[in-house]
Amino acid sequence: MCHQTVSLAARHLEENGIATIVMGCAKDIVEYCGVPRLLFSDFPLGNAAGRPKDPPSQAFTLELALRVLESAPAPRTTVQSPLRWSTDPSWKLDYSNIERLSPEEIQRRRQEFDRQKEIAKTVRDAPRAAN
Amino acid sequence: MSEGGEYPGFAPEHDPPIHYMRRIRGYYQGLGYGAPYRWAHYAEVPFQPLEKPLAECRVALITTAAPYQPGKGDQGPGAPYNAAAKFYTVYSADTAVDHDLRISHVGIDRVHTSAEDSNTWFPLPQLRRCAAKGRIGEITPRFHGAPTNRSHRTTIERDCPELLARCRADGADAAILVAN
Repeated sequence: MCHQTVSLAARHLEENGIATIVMGCAKDIVEYCGVPRLLFSDFPLGNAAGRPKDPPSQAFTLELALRVLESAPAPRTTVQSPLRWSTDPSWKLDYSNIERLSPEEIQRRRQEFDRQKEIAKTVRDAPRAAN
Repeated sequence: MSEGGEYPGFAPEHDPPIHYMRRIRGYYQGLGYGAPYRWAHYAEVPFQPLEKPLAECRVALITTAAPYQPGKGDQGPGAPYNAAAKFYTVYSADTAVDHDLRISHVGIDRVHTSAEDSNTWFPLPQLRRCAAKGRIGEITPRFHGAPTNRSHRTTIERDCPELLARCRADGADAAILVAN
């Protein structure tokens, strides 16, 4: 939902005169929504601003985002960072891949999902503190 | 095309970016949930070119990360998904100081990354360096936290206008939005 949320926010800001750049790792979700500019890092979700404990990669990633922000010629501009997470792309086979889970693990995850959903509902419905 | 062969230099077939919508649809169907999630999709995309050089722009930072909340369970590094750490209203905080933001409440890749370095999802320190060297004009006085809701209506009708109002109040010319 996270990539969708920032995509919707980027669109709204842009419609109202604020230029935006989305930094993300889920290219399909952002492009499906449709945003003005996306810097896509082909990294595991959670690393849209660069590689962990790698300041040069983080500096490079933000600089690339700024360049896309200032130079995109039209909406739906996606630039893919040339950085690679690993020379072995096998990590891409794991995320939420139902084909890799045993029936027992699927059952366990369903129970956990239902449990977390209840927790989320409790948080959402709780009286809100002012921000 | 040679039968069963592969031209030298081609990347493996599983190398292209993950198709998350397809993956997530299969996952929840596999878990036994019914109707697939309808992702937001638009045919038209707005476009606002920068009206002045970036070195003169005031830039906002928007994140989906959450402030660390003691007592709300494991929030990482390496935490499992933790819905108790979610937030449901836009928040803002001072960009001049450091913050402890976590991403245990969103669906990051918990197999291949552990959320131990917040600079991979919240580039405020790096953005400060960009401001210091004049790459951008300045950072807005506040950054903003965007709640990640399944409800399109809540995001579009409540959270997006709130983010816009806060960016406008801060005089933002441009915004960087970092997804998780």
